[in-house]
Amino acid sequence: MNQLSMAQIILLSLFAFFQINEIITLGIGFGNPVNAGLIAGLIVGDMKLGLAVGATLQLMILGVGTFGGASIPDYATGAIIGTAIAHISGKGINYGIGVGIPVGLLMVQLDILARFANTYFAHRINRAIGKNDDKAVVRNSLYGAIPWGISRALPVFLVLIFGESFVKNVLNYLPQWLMGGLKAAGTMLPAVGIAILMHYLPIKKFAAYIIFGFIGAAYLKIPMLGVALAGVGFAILYYQKLMNSNGEQPHIKGDGLDTEKAKELGIGEEITGDEE
Amino acid sequence: MKNETTARPVQKLTKKDLRSANIRWIFTSSLSWNYETMMAPGYVGSQMPILRRLYGNDPEKMKRMMALQAEFFNTSPHMGSIIQGIDIALEEQQGTAAEDAIRGVKTGLMGPFAAVGDTLLGTVQSTIFGAIASYMALKGNPTGSILWMGALAALYIWGFTWMPFAYKRGVELVTTMSSRLAALTDAATLLGVTVIGALIPTVININVPFVFKVGKVTMKLQTTLNQIMPSLVPILLVAFVYWLLDRKHMNSTRATWFVLILAIVLYNLKIVG
Repeated sequence: MNQLSMAQIILLSLFAFFQINEIITLGIGFGNPVNAGLIAGLIVGDMKLGLAVGATLQLMILGVGTFGGASIPDYATGAIIGTAIAHISGKGINYGIGVGIPVGLLMVQLDILARFANTYFAHRINRAIGKNDDKAVVRNSLYGAIPWGISRALPVFLVLIFGESFVKNVLNYLPQWLMGGLKAAGTMLPAVGIAILMHYLPIKKFAAYIIFGFIGAAYLKIPMLGVALAGVGFAILYYQKLMNSNGEQPHIKGDGLDTEKAKELGIGEEITGDEE
Repeated sequence: MKNETTARPVQKLTKKDLRSANIRWIFTSSLSWNYETMMAPGYVGSQMPILRRLYGNDPEKMKRMMALQAEFFNTSPHMGSIIQGIDIALEEQQGTAAEDAIRGVKTGLMGPFAAVGDTLLGTVQSTIFGAIASYMALKGNPTGSILWMGALAALYIWGFTWMPFAYKRGVELVTTMSSRLAALTDAATLLGVTVIGALIPTVININVPFVFKVGKVTMKLQTTLNQIMPSLVPILLVAFVYWLLDRKHMNSTRATWFVLILAIVLYNLKIVG
């Protein structure tokens, strides 16, 4: 059982505030679960724990973004809370994952709330334009950072302030069947992320390449970076072929995401999200 | 790529105006994102240095153009820089007369650019780098994470040149870029799919401790499965969830809960562990 100092709790909350605002603007990726886990791990003083929790959550949402303003499970906040709770409890990685998943799923509701709250600033902008107050327009175009940030920072702060004693109590009663089950879930759940991603991408068109990738990793034991490099090679050949085939020009949409399909899968219904 | 319009008929904006608009968009595009006008607050806020320069001494025009730029807008953040550049070029040349053209460019391009941006800068980029980062992170190694953030930092530092580039080239940019972008998107998607193929056997490590006992013969299920094919269980599970997601009333959240519960059940039946 470890303790988190007040400074650590505040740092984790500030990071939660920062990461969401970073990912919706510049987007270098502090808000990607694996990176959020890394930083949360560094803050609590157990980098490997944070990395492993973040990586598992990352795999559940690989390649999925907030396209068109859709709300997706917030596994970055899940990774922060999961890492911190796993550290406090001393129960290890799988416990962190078990905490992180429900947190990430529940955070969808707060994401929706933040996006709703920002409608207020949109109205204030319209009023400011009516008064020709350009400074107010600019100000209100920035204020949205507050609902975004609070929606992430507040849960982290509250869970960690009040969570510690709660976690201790829960741990005393948490049965082995559930702990072991969560551990097993940690190994199985990346399959969900990968299946979602496969729905996103034109998997049938490029079926051959998924097999190449599999053979490379499973039989030839090439590390991930090596397989990715082979993929870059295939991609260059394909690009050259496309650019050389005169006449038939693909239109700008390309053949990328099937966002309609994604909507169907509920990877972010906007307001009416039917998350349980 | 040679028909650059270097000699502009009118040059009202300073380098500083352009730089300021560029930086504002990149750092604030979605801060006030909302369900009603989506990225519009970020857009009008970012265009303010341009609007002030062009219409600063004409309150009526200023009001009209601010209202125009506060209309619904939504695209992929970084691709928005290109739309912004084209918009600014139009506005500088034609002022309020460009109102319809600006509206046309913004609404016409935000969809296609969102598709390209969400694919390349959203899905493909994060599939490839996220796979590498997670793979390393599971082994306790932060290199993949750092590599990912470093690569994106490099990409988006380059991204600061997109708006000025689009401003220089204006509307004609769209036609020259279209086929290239489509080909690039396709090729990058291929790369993403290759990485998914490698991801299944490397990051899903399901342990099957189940043991058959037939008389005196005991057989480990895991060994039998491995003899058929490496990572057979992960493949079957991914295929199952892929199928499951196509069922009626099924969505990603329900599938996640379903697999979570399935794992707990299978663990207690001592099939996985």
